[in-house]
Amino acid sequence: MMIDKKVLACLGRSPLADDVTDYAAWAAARLSAPLELLHVLERHPERSSGDDRSGAIGVDAQETLLSKLSADDERHARTLREEGRLLLDRMRERARAGGAAHVDVRQRHGSLDETVAELEAEARLVVMGRQMPLAAGTHFEQTVRRLRKPILTVPGPFRPVERVMIAFDGGIASRRGVELVAGSPLFRECAIHLLMSGNESAAAARQLDWARQVFETAGRPVDTRLAPGNAGEVIPEVARTQAIDLLVVGAYSRSPLASLLRGSRTNVLLQSFPIPTLLMR
Amino acid sequence: MQKNVMNTLRQDWLSNIRNDLLAGLVVALALIPEAIAFSIIAGVDPQVGLYASFSIAVITAIVGGRPGMISAATGAMALVMVLLVKEHGLQYLLAATVLTGVLQVLAGWLRLGVLMRFVSRSVITGFVNALAILIFMAQLPELTNVTWHVYAMTAAGLGIIYLFPYVTKAVPSPLVAIVVLTALALWLGLDIRTVGDMGTLPNSLPVFLLPDIPLTFDTLAIIFPVSATLAVVGLLESMMTASIVDDLTDTNSNKNRECVGQGVANIATGFLGGMAGCAMIGQSVINVKSGGRGRLSTLAAGVFLLLMVVFLGEWVARIPMAALVAVMIMVSIGTFSWASIRNLREHPKSSSVVMLATVIVVVATHDLAKGVLVGVLLSGFFFAGKVGRLLYIRSEARDAGRVRHYTVTGQVFFASAERFVNAFDYKEVIDKVRIDVGHAHFWDITAVSALDKVVIKFRREGTEVEVLGLNEASATLVDKFGVHDKEGAEDMLAAH
Repeated sequence: MMIDKKVLACLGRSPLADDVTDYAAWAAARLSAPLELLHVLERHPERSSGDDRSGAIGVDAQETLLSKLSADDERHARTLREEGRLLLDRMRERARAGGAAHVDVRQRHGSLDETVAELEAEARLVVMGRQMPLAAGTHFEQTVRRLRKPILTVPGPFRPVERVMIAFDGGIASRRGVELVAGSPLFRECAIHLLMSGNESAAAARQLDWARQVFETAGRPVDTRLAPGNAGEVIPEVARTQAIDLLVVGAYSRSPLASLLRGSRTNVLLQSFPIPTLLMR
Repeated sequence: MQKNVMNTLRQDWLSNIRNDLLAGLVVALALIPEAIAFSIIAGVDPQVGLYASFSIAVITAIVGGRPGMISAATGAMALVMVLLVKEHGLQYLLAATVLTGVLQVLAGWLRLGVLMRFVSRSVITGFVNALAILIFMAQLPELTNVTWHVYAMTAAGLGIIYLFPYVTKAVPSPLVAIVVLTALALWLGLDIRTVGDMGTLPNSLPVFLLPDIPLTFDTLAIIFPVSATLAVVGLLESMMTASIVDDLTDTNSNKNRECVGQGVANIATGFLGGMAGCAMIGQSVINVKSGGRGRLSTLAAGVFLLLMVVFLGEWVARIPMAALVAVMIMVSIGTFSWASIRNLREHPKSSSVVMLATVIVVVATHDLAKGVLVGVLLSGFFFAGKVGRLLYIRSEARDAGRVRHYTVTGQVFFASAERFVNAFDYKEVIDKVRIDVGHAHFWDITAVSALDKVVIKFRREGTEVEVLGLNEASATLVDKFGVHDKEGAEDMLAAH
């Protein structure tokens, strides 16, 4: 039996949990896929709590400290687990109300990026929150970079998805985006725009032709345009004027080091962009 | 990979900034008395220990393998260098410090950190207790042939250290003790020994200098034995402290990187006019207790220490030794494993003997390396003795009493070979003996020659001997330690 690949929604303790659930429920309903809500309990042994600056060590200092620290960790872990369980319960109801047919919940220990990377194989789409502002090398970027599946990043409350735009640069990730938008039931009822930034050239024309071809084969109408200028400025501009509800874009093609030195184009874009974005890897 | 490096850097340095800085400050306050006290033990000026504590803390913060661990000038190392300083002077100590670092870097590259697995729990407990006793004993010169004022001051200091936390935990109580006692001594004009009486304090940042020694073979012959001992003692205490911090924080450390880090720190320290040092159990516990987790805490401890000493040197010189003695007694009490005394009765006798032997040898020789060596050897003996008891030999007469069938099960090696030989009845009048060793393990050459001996003894009585299953039994003879890692190894071992 083929197991249907899931929509995997990552719920943190961020205020975006409701919004992530809403978009995940929408995607699961469109894809007729089971939805799994994931809550990751992260441990932070590199951080400390407590305010004992007495600096005095007495009889059995080591044993006393060890039992105190492990008791603290234990209490903390229990609290987090309980909070996570309540959150997941609430979000399960919300996802059902939002139209998802099969909703499962799961709590895992570990770091977000590792956990999602492990569970990715069972997923066809990962949904996660995107808190603004984003800094380079944040947890968000770290997680996205580890994944290979499309990732829907949600910056705020749910809006019906009617107009979708693909930011197309001819690269492999954005070509995959074209194929996904053309073929996936996710966007079956949406108006599709395809935007390529840059000057007119033979290469650009060839790539646009290829994209048009894909949509034609799939029998989907598409509005393509080539806009001169810098992608980081053109894309938000066009998205605003066209009232785009969701953007599809290739993400983090540069190596982490290159991003650090020359800046990450993805981060620049996501930073200035308060609408849901589907990141293609 | 680059991403991982960046993340690790951020995680190690910047994830706990406030608590790391505050813990570093608390540790620096406790490090100053220790560095001064250990300089006095080694017979050098306090500035040698203070520079060492600064440089070792700062360098291990950057290159060490255990974030949150505190390394500086230590008592364990100071005790090893006493004779060298007395007979040859400071310059030879600096050279020995550099050589110690070189040896430790080599140990790190050769991955000798794995040898720590031969150091059993009991040896570690013995080491820790011996260290605590040595730190305490080092305070005794300050407490003998002195006026009653000193005893009163020391007692008051201990009182403040242990009682002040009940008032507030926001301020380090050792600091309060030092400030109160210094103020009291100045106010009453007491004529008691102060830090300033013990030698030069630093009044500037340390500078790079080459040890002033002849670069000859004679020099090497003088410093090498000391450096080798220093390297071993330093790595032992550092590895133990690293595992303690691992346990406390429930995280892992990179032991080989720590070896190299200790080495690099000692090399640099020798060139900055400091004495060799290593990780400190007491200070690391204080650091974790105060909230220190990252590399920043260790760095902060070193930097704060130097700033305080250089800018407040005039005041540091006026601290009465009694106040330092109180702090050091606290460190000694906090380092000692009091539970090990309660456990003496519950734990197996062999463990207790190993622990006590380690303590006794160290206290007698003032050399932690010797103590650990004795402890490790004793653990080995006891273990061999225990495993040697796992040998069972049964026999039954077969074929109407013409054949005796011996079945050997268990471990045959140097410790059980004699018992193996004596388990056979050579005087029995019988045609043939069959010895089935298929369920035994022959671990060494002693075991094989014991079997030969058995065979020859039977032959001399005119008895025919057949040995069964020797191939299986001697599979363990091959010096391949990795046998357990191989596929099917468990079945192989179980089948024996």
